[in-house]
Amino acid sequence: MIERARGWKSARVALVLALVALALAVGWSARPRTETPAERVDRITSELRCVVCQGLSVRDSPSESARQMRDIVAQRVAEGRSDDEIRDEFRASYGDWVVLAPPLASWSGLVWLVPLAALLVGAFVALGRFRPPAAGAREPSAAELAQLRERARREESLDLPLDAR
Amino acid sequence: MSRWLRAVLVVAIASLVVVLALAFRRAPTDIRTGTVGKPAAAFTLEKLDGPGTWSSEQAKGKVVVVNFFASWCIPCKEENPALVRVYERYRASDVVFIGVLYQDSRDSGLKYVRDNGVAWPTVIDDAGRVAFSYGVFGIPETFFIGPDGVIVGRHIGPIDETTLVRGIECLRVPNAGDCPRASASR
Amino acid sequence: MSWADLGGAALRAALPLAIWGCGAAAYGAAKRDGRALASSRWSALLVLVLVALAILAMEGALVTHDFSIEYVARNNARATPLFFTVISLWAALEGSILLWTIVLAGATAYVAWRGVREMPRLATVALAVLLGMLAFFLLLVTTPAADPFVRIDPPPDGSGPNPLLQNHPLMALHPPLLYLGYVLFSVPFAYAIASLILGEGGDRWLVATRRFALVSWALLGVGIVAGSWWSYAVLGWGGYWAWDPVENAAIMPWLTATAYLHSVMVEEKRRLLRTWNLSLVITTFALTILGTFLTRSGVVNSVHAFTQSAIGPLLLGYFVAIVVLSVGLLLWRMPRLADQGGIGAPLSREAIFLFQNVVFVAATLTVLLGTLYPLIAEAISGAQLSIGRPYFDRVEVPLALALLFLMGIGPQLPWHGASRATLERQFTVPVVAAALGAAVAVVIGPSGVFAVLTYALAAFVAATVVQEFARGVRARRVLHGETAVVALASLIRRSGRRYGGYIVHLGIVVVAVAVATSQAGTVQIERTLSPTGSVQAGPYLLTLNSVRDMSEPQRDLVVADLDITGGGTSGHLRPALVFYPNSTQAIGSPGIAASPRDDVYTILAAYDSRAHSWATIRVLVIPLVSWIWLGGAIVGLGAVIAALPPPRSRTRPVTVARVTAARVVEP
Repeated sequence: MIERARGWKSARVALVLALVALALAVGWSARPRTETPAERVDRITSELRCVVCQGLSVRDSPSESARQMRDIVAQRVAEGRSDDEIRDEFRASYGDWVVLAPPLASWSGLVWLVPLAALLVGAFVALGRFRPPAAGAREPSAAELAQLRERARREESLDLPLDAR
Repeated sequence: MSRWLRAVLVVAIASLVVVLALAFRRAPTDIRTGTVGKPAAAFTLEKLDGPGTWSSEQAKGKVVVVNFFASWCIPCKEENPALVRVYERYRASDVVFIGVLYQDSRDSGLKYVRDNGVAWPTVIDDAGRVAFSYGVFGIPETFFIGPDGVIVGRHIGPIDETTLVRGIECLRVPNAGDCPRASASR
Repeated sequence: MSWADLGGAALRAALPLAIWGCGAAAYGAAKRDGRALASSRWSALLVLVLVALAILAMEGALVTHDFSIEYVARNNARATPLFFTVISLWAALEGSILLWTIVLAGATAYVAWRGVREMPRLATVALAVLLGMLAFFLLLVTTPAADPFVRIDPPPDGSGPNPLLQNHPLMALHPPLLYLGYVLFSVPFAYAIASLILGEGGDRWLVATRRFALVSWALLGVGIVAGSWWSYAVLGWGGYWAWDPVENAAIMPWLTATAYLHSVMVEEKRRLLRTWNLSLVITTFALTILGTFLTRSGVVNSVHAFTQSAIGPLLLGYFVAIVVLSVGLLLWRMPRLADQGGIGAPLSREAIFLFQNVVFVAATLTVLLGTLYPLIAEAISGAQLSIGRPYFDRVEVPLALALLFLMGIGPQLPWHGASRATLERQFTVPVVAAALGAAVAVVIGPSGVFAVLTYALAAFVAATVVQEFARGVRARRVLHGETAVVALASLIRRSGRRYGGYIVHLGIVVVAVAVATSQAGTVQIERTLSPTGSVQAGPYLLTLNSVRDMSEPQRDLVVADLDITGGGTSGHLRPALVFYPNSTQAIGSPGIAASPRDDVYTILAAYDSRAHSWATIRVLVIPLVSWIWLGGAIVGLGAVIAALPPPRSRTRPVTVARVTAARVVEP
């Protein structure tokens, strides 16, 4: 008994340690870091749409137009413009279409709520399926029995050849 | 399933179908207006067919037709005869034609200009900044700018004589009626 | 008789046969007429033969370059190599629909021949449904919507297939796999509808179609991975998934099918979630039709939008009909499907499966609405929006991580609920493994929160799978005295469904780790080089030797000759720009050096067309990307193991010709 208790204890300790280590690792990887200018250019260009491609971002596309647009973004970043200013310049030339995801604070930004709403609705429906276990099994009544027998007969008739009566 | 959930389901499916059916109205090669209706960005570019630069200031107060082209662009070659004819027609007037070489080398562009009888002034946009400021999607693209400096219309794809003339006339005779705001060939 | 005559006649003969078969099966089921059933079974077989004949006619026309058929003229040329000629059967719309038709005809014939032997009444109604759907597709291929045998004045030479489709042999695999996956799901759907129409069938239809659903899911999944690989190797941007509308169209039914495969187990074990399962089958099938509609109608701009034809409204109408009829049937029969009992404990296998289903459905809905959002916005306000990678990546990755987590705990929990002791016993090792996985990510792996979480959860799931295998092997050794290796083999053979499923989970874990690493750790550099110039990307040094022209029978290329050294590799890469005679734009062809550790992906972005004195080379070093294809193969392997029938047990059950007394059906 004591052996097993000690075994449980060390397992529990290991579990707690592991969870702590996990939290530390995740926290460490999520630490805030300042972006280098190159990373900033990468991020902004990944959110802009290459105008001659099928849905690729300016960052991903190897086309000449995309390269020229990357140069423009790099120049604007070096000039100290803000993200919004750079995006606005693109939108002035090409319309809202050139931004690959609508900004949060707009009517079209409602699309960001979709996954959350879907999860909530789904969770709501799922939790509705949780029912407390039947409080003690009870004998089926005669009517219920007849119903079950009838149902079993109907289901099994599916096994019989089609023209069996 | 409650009545409420049932109704939501029906409405959701019906809206999906309506949206998909409505999507047929729009051709996939649709027109995005972008810079139409806004003042044209000023620019100064090096001349292709000679030394020096050409500035959009030179065309201030006039009707301007800006055509983006390149030597590797086959539809540009197709539309060129129409451009030549219309240019001849308006040569004596104060309508300004300017060709902008886009994503091409100077030598190839010069060869194209000489081989295809491009008589109007041409400039080279080597960093693509002017094309960007105009919102060029892909060449050939033609822009119509009014005397007030506002881009009144654009045409994506090879342009034909009729559309060109109509665009120019719309600008010379303001409020003439059905002027193209944005159009595409095909 | 020309190929067009043969093919067109075969299809036009098949259409009335399919309609006849549909009616005969429906009549047979309603009036319990065995002869009507026999008639419909024969017509199903005959339709298959006729459609096969049409396929052969089309292949014959392609191989003999019969340009009097418009499809051949537009998708084939004299110079096209034989391999690509044969696979250009599915290069464009009409051929694709024909491919769909034959797969559907094959599935229908299978149900007619073998499926009717068990549960004849249910299968007869299912056969009627299948023949009805087959009639629709035969209608498509015999009308201008998608008729592949339309004739024209033969031009001297054809246009050849789309340049993108003759670059890579994977074109041979991707569409057929995908179509097999899509179409085979018609069978579970047909059985579900039959069960609803008859109002009976209980859970029998699930068991009858379980293997179909699994095979269809596996083929669809492997087809998607094959498409991803093709897009990576051919499209030349260095990525493998761009949330393109057509990619989304394929993944949506796969997501709901995955949910279905799991909730089916809940219905089998606990007789719950009937309505839910029926809804999932209907949704999955409807999504396959919606997917085809989105791909072929031209309403969304995408990589696949090659043509626009009248097929759009027809497919939309078909989609509406399917949805209205199936949802109507479901709502009508719902009272009979009420669950008896419910899920009691939140920490039980059935509860976890339910949560997993919710997440899968939420993920599917997100992809659907994200893909359609631009259409919706335009319909409402005329605004033109884009929804692309920044949106999808940001919302789908957390959902995927949640699914990884549920994948780890679900199989470990018993049915009906788990005690605290069980939890501790089951999860101590996996949680420690998760911590180790996170440590690996922090120390040597890619940076970023999502990468660390992925590694942790991957280790978690892998540990649970290994634990399960270890437990099973240990049990067999104790009970049967087998050695470890033999025990492992017997486990897999006898409980294929369970252990095949675990292997599938392992494959998913491999894919998850590969995706996370490649996304977080890709190095991208673009440099303009002149010959003998070089660029350093990660541990690799790439040197440009020359830029040269090359000429092949059906295309011209400009190739950049690169040497790659460093990082333990040395070799040559030849990214190129390919010019096809009938296309104005050059297609980029990447040079890829693949290895288990990294792929070095090179693209020729621009070059000096006059003197070949410089070339702009884009280099990406993408870690672990080859493991994605490996993971896909593991998933396929696991599915095969799960689908194989278990070996016959020693004592053969006695087959009873007739059921004489009521008995309760046991799982």
